[in-house]
Amino acid sequence: MSGFVNFTDILKPRNTKFGIVKFMTKKWDPMKTLTLDKYYGPQDLKKVVADSVYIDSFLEAESLRTGVSKEQLKKKVLEYLDEIALDEQTHVMRWMGIVFLKICFMMKIGVFVNEAAVLKLKSTLGKNPVLFLPTHRSYADFCLTTYLCYHYDITLPAVAAGMDFYSMAVVGQSMRETGAFYIRRTLVGSPLYAATLRHYVRTVVAKYGAPVEFFLEGTRSRSNKSLPPKYGMLSMTLVPYFAREVSDVTVVPVNISYDRVMEQTLFAYEHLGVPKPKETTGGLLKSLHRLNDHFGNIYINLGDPISIKEYLDRSADQLVDKSIHSAESLKPLDLQQLTVDQMDKVQDIADYVVTLQQESTVVTITNLLAIVLMQSLIVDEALSLEQVVDKIDWLIDVLRKLGASVFENDLKASVERILVVHKQMVTLDGDKLMLVPALPMVVSPDVQKKMKGHILKAETMVNAIPIIQLQLYVNPVLHYLIPPALIYAVVCSGDTTREQLFASYCKLRKMLRHEFFHLEKTEEMKFTQALQYCMDNNVIRDSIQNPGTLTSGPDRELQLLLRWSVLPALTTLATCVDVMMQCRISDHAQLLKLVQERAESGRCHPYCLSLEAAANCVQGLTLYGALLRHKENEISYEVVPDKIQECHSLITSVLPKINVDFSSSNTVISTNSIKSKL
Amino acid sequence: MSPGLVTSAKNMLQNTADDKNNKRKTVNSEKTSSFSDKNKNRSADSKKKYETIIKVKSVIPRRRQDLLKWYGWGYKDSMFVLDENTTSFTGSRYLIGGKNLPYAKQWIKEHFDVDISKPHKVPQIPTTFPKSRLPDNIKQELEKITLLSTDGMDRLIRAHGQTLHDVYHLRENSFPRIPDAVVWPENHEQVEEIVNSASRHHFVIIPFGGGTSVSGSVTCPANEDRPIVVLDTSDMNSILWLDKEQLLARVQAGIVGQDLEREMRARGFTVGHEPDSYEFSTLGGWVATRASGMKKNTYGNIEDLVVQTKVVTPRGVIEKSCRVPRLSCGPEWEHIILGSEGCLGVVTEVTLKIRPLPPVVRYGSLVFPDWDSGFHFEREVARQRLQPSSIRLMDNEQFRFGHALKMEQSWGGVLLDGLKRFYITKIKGFDPLKLCVVTLLMEGSAEQVADSEKKMNAIAAQYGGVPGGAKNGEIGYTLTFVIAYVRDLALECDIVAESFETSVSWERALALCRNTKARVRSECAARRIAHYLISCRLTQTYDAGCCIYFYFGFKTVGFSDPVRVYEEIEEAARDEIIACGGSISHHHGVGKLRKKWYTSTVSEPGRLLLLAAKQALDPDNVFALGNMAFDQYTPDVVKSKL
Ligand SMILES: Cc1cc2nc3c(=O)[nH]c(=O)nc-3n(C[C@H](O)[C@H](O)[C@H](O)COP(=O)(O)OP(=O)(O)OC[C@H]3O[C@@H](n4cnc5c(N)ncnc54)[C@H](O)[C@@H]3O)c2cc1C
Repeated sequence: MSGFVNFTDILKPRNTKFGIVKFMTKKWDPMKTLTLDKYYGPQDLKKVVADSVYIDSFLEAESLRTGVSKEQLKKKVLEYLDEIALDEQTHVMRWMGIVFLKICFMMKIGVFVNEAAVLKLKSTLGKNPVLFLPTHRSYADFCLTTYLCYHYDITLPAVAAGMDFYSMAVVGQSMRETGAFYIRRTLVGSPLYAATLRHYVRTVVAKYGAPVEFFLEGTRSRSNKSLPPKYGMLSMTLVPYFAREVSDVTVVPVNISYDRVMEQTLFAYEHLGVPKPKETTGGLLKSLHRLNDHFGNIYINLGDPISIKEYLDRSADQLVDKSIHSAESLKPLDLQQLTVDQMDKVQDIADYVVTLQQESTVVTITNLLAIVLMQSLIVDEALSLEQVVDKIDWLIDVLRKLGASVFENDLKASVERILVVHKQMVTLDGDKLMLVPALPMVVSPDVQKKMKGHILKAETMVNAIPIIQLQLYVNPVLHYLIPPALIYAVVCSGDTTREQLFASYCKLRKMLRHEFFHLEKTEEMKFTQALQYCMDNNVIRDSIQNPGTLTSGPDRELQLLLRWSVLPALTTLATCVDVMMQCRISDHAQLLKLVQERAESGRCHPYCLSLEAAANCVQGLTLYGALLRHKENEISYEVVPDKIQECHSLITSVLPKINVDFSSSNTVISTNSIKSKL
Repeated sequence: MSPGLVTSAKNMLQNTADDKNNKRKTVNSEKTSSFSDKNKNRSADSKKKYETIIKVKSVIPRRRQDLLKWYGWGYKDSMFVLDENTTSFTGSRYLIGGKNLPYAKQWIKEHFDVDISKPHKVPQIPTTFPKSRLPDNIKQELEKITLLSTDGMDRLIRAHGQTLHDVYHLRENSFPRIPDAVVWPENHEQVEEIVNSASRHHFVIIPFGGGTSVSGSVTCPANEDRPIVVLDTSDMNSILWLDKEQLLARVQAGIVGQDLEREMRARGFTVGHEPDSYEFSTLGGWVATRASGMKKNTYGNIEDLVVQTKVVTPRGVIEKSCRVPRLSCGPEWEHIILGSEGCLGVVTEVTLKIRPLPPVVRYGSLVFPDWDSGFHFEREVARQRLQPSSIRLMDNEQFRFGHALKMEQSWGGVLLDGLKRFYITKIKGFDPLKLCVVTLLMEGSAEQVADSEKKMNAIAAQYGGVPGGAKNGEIGYTLTFVIAYVRDLALECDIVAESFETSVSWERALALCRNTKARVRSECAARRIAHYLISCRLTQTYDAGCCIYFYFGFKTVGFSDPVRVYEEIEEAARDEIIACGGSISHHHGVGKLRKKWYTSTVSEPGRLLLLAAKQALDPDNVFALGNMAFDQYTPDVVKSKL
């Protein structure tokens, strides 16, 4: 998907005198995802699960294992089901809708939807279960698809929600009554709960006729870019297909892109290691007044639906064929579970869907502005609004060539709109676009105690917070830029043949597998495309002096973009390598601290202070084989000397030589604004 | 890799790392598990394959000899004891346990004229055993897979079944060959590994269930040069799943009958397969011998109960890929396994039908003036397909034998007591030396049972039968289980006794019973055997025939090789049975004892088919029990013969 996309603001028509109430009292006879002779309501579902052969057999065995009576265990299952199960209360839905719309208008939000895709999907409903798999960047994600379904008269999705909502007064219950079901974060140590949940999810998919929605990434990505998927929910939801209770399952990748993520500041602090406060209804209410602000647009983009059946048939090999006739199908239907091969396939699908979510990214003006501002910081040169708009124009062209979808109408107006939305972060100082530093933070002993990582200096945080926030808006676009950026970085380190280039590229990608999610199996294709892109766009070219080798090309502007885009990740990687080479063995927490400390003292790009980025790099190095991971009481790492040496020389050779002062003396950091903020 | 399943809860909501084919899946943040964790999970998965698994605690311990008599039948604490004054049955496991049996001595005296004052010959526990021939490397390999023992006693008690021949050798500790080791696999996967190892190292495997075989099928082959490993299935006794909706259960094949039935009943169900040996015999043994249970009229024989088997052969696992009520797909290979007598592979898992427990179980009995009228009654019941769960006809000798085991008190309703005796002998004019008894076991709703009883009585009346009371019925069925203990007592009193059975069509049955008994009598006469017992009963009925069960025993004093004599007479009886149109066996199987008639029973092409099955599934003859015609199999011979 690339080029121009048409999005419709589905909130706008409600912005009339009685718009909200009229719409929220409309006749409600939604389209179901399944055409069944008998429909199971929320209470029926619980009963089906509680009375299932699976639960019965499980209790039988569990009772023997634990010595607890079957009746008692059954009671426990019923309690679990009360905790888990979704409900359906039309009046609650209508009230929630009214509140939702009111808040959206307060926040001045536009919800832009790729309507053509929704209507196309709607026209195919009724045949088999549908899974909505959205990206997860904000708590707001929880309302959006539900509202979208209401808007388009589709049965409200059954949404897997975390227990943090469950414990919130009113909100937890209201969410349940509009289709949320609750899942615990871990199933370890509670086999009975796991069994109940597993069967509940399976039953909802096979019998409920509503789309099922969950976040593959499992948690909100604090970095605004894709997390590697978790496989549990997907495996549970696909059992009905493998057991052929249903003929197919349609998976819809959904990308939700925000002009402004509500949690951006919180996330920025989390990157640095300040733990997030617990969500409470009181906290939510308190934050309400802060909602009277401009939050910009949200883009919901539905990717092309995947038919699981077709996907598996296409990748069918001997193995899959065998697994269909597995010992599993000899079991009672209710007891059928995934075989190892099927589990592998599920993981494959999950990984693939994450890439489809990436491909459905809608590049917003905020992203574009963030890139331009970040570059401006890096070259230490503030730009006028005019220049910014020009740069953005150029950038749109670059990104579209790389396959991105960019949604813009009137560029100048849009940029001005975003300046309002992000006035806490960027400002026009004079006529120059500048970054607004954070309020100085008092690092009290109390705060220090709560810090997960290295104790950072207050002055570090003042600029680190806004720059990390800015990076959060650069991040969603990076998956387009990283492949050519790495190619360019390697070529910059010296002329190279295509083969050498590919080898170094692969090594780097592997080390960054966790920082930049991608599929290993498509890497060769990705490389070829990126290389072609670099050649076509004068980033690199065939060397004239050394035939058969590649060398740097003439397009300085594009080269600059590519060079700095990979800077934070490579720097973090280099820092991890340095730290580990020095200490040889380190436990996880200590390692991250040391990386943070080194990044602070080395005045690296502030994103290198991110604990998450560091953890990702450590995992990458483990994957590469440069570190050995040990797990006793806690996780620790040990270096593999020759491998880490290999990493070290590769990374240092390709690390972009960019020295920037990210302190307040950077001309792009506004010093005036801080006063106005105070 | 074993087809383990990913059901581990650990994997569900956490990221998993997967290093299969070096294909690395993605991992997130600190909470991830390492490769080795995942691998650990995977191997654990195969064990946890069934999270609905019901681990059954068996009544029978791994050291069988701790609970069971090593030298004979049944529990150690249960046996007939005979002394100067009293006869009694010890223990408290059976209805007659701990009771005096005042009429027994008289009966024994009458039939066998043995001197009961003579000290009994309870054998000494053996202390020397043939050395295990299992090479160390194989032993070590097997020990890695599962528990193994080369202990002499462990091997001796698994060298045999329960034929007279076996028990005689056992008491004398005179087996020409005993197994070299015993292994106790816990699941299908381990069996696969063991069979694999056998194929590689060329040793012999004997699947051993409950060791209740009465055909010689499980008996250790005497002329085997390769090491012999007994694969004791008793640790494979879990119920893997139980589907109360489909009325099916998947059970590991080593489960013992009474364990299976107890577990099912505890959950409101029954398999309903109750061969008289079901206290000790196993599911796998039933399958391998085509067993038949007392209540087959309601629940079916083993072949009707089995929906699916999973069998490890040296050529791989044979199992149907679908679990369906019926299949039209060429010959049913399940029937190659049913009756394979341990010669083609190991049955590891079986999917069985189960039924809800009947609300009412009632015994009944009917008394008939003679065998023929009882027989015609049974035939009529079968014609009308009105059989209750069990219906059996005992001949007069058996009836009187039952009477001999009458307890001192408490057997209130016994036939020849008091009023009833008066009614039956005086009013009805039945001759106590001719009358026969039918015992009934009825199951179902109260209505169904009442209805069945009414109909039985009505048909009985047509053949001169009269109701004999529920208690007599119950006693008849309990005796079934203690009769097996009689042989040990008999052996101690120099009497050899054994049973043999056949199936025959209705119209030939009466003649078959008459002729076979006559043949036994004349064989005894020819050998000057004065004291013996030949008796029979009709234990199962079908549309087109019935099962006849003979008991034969004689006093051995004066014979140097009584077992040999017994076998000659049984052989003659079998020849007679076959000449009368009866079969080689209704449910005990062929084993080694009845090989002689195998080919003529199944025809020459049938024999070739049997050897072809061997060639296909076990070409190297790992399962070298040599039952049926399998002793004619050697890899080369087959090639030239086929
Ligand atoms: C007192 C008494 C009463 C009996 N009553 C009946 C009766 O009513 N009905 C009836 O049908 N039989 C009866 N029998 C015979 C005997 O109990 C059955 O043949 C029974 O099925 C044997 O089961 P088992 O587990 O003891 O098998 P075993 O005696 O251990 O073995 C029998 C044969 O089956 C093979 N085998 C055992 N397990 C497996 C396995 N898992 N995979 C492959 N092969 C295997 C063995 O190798 C052997 O060839 C009776 C026997 C006795 C002694």
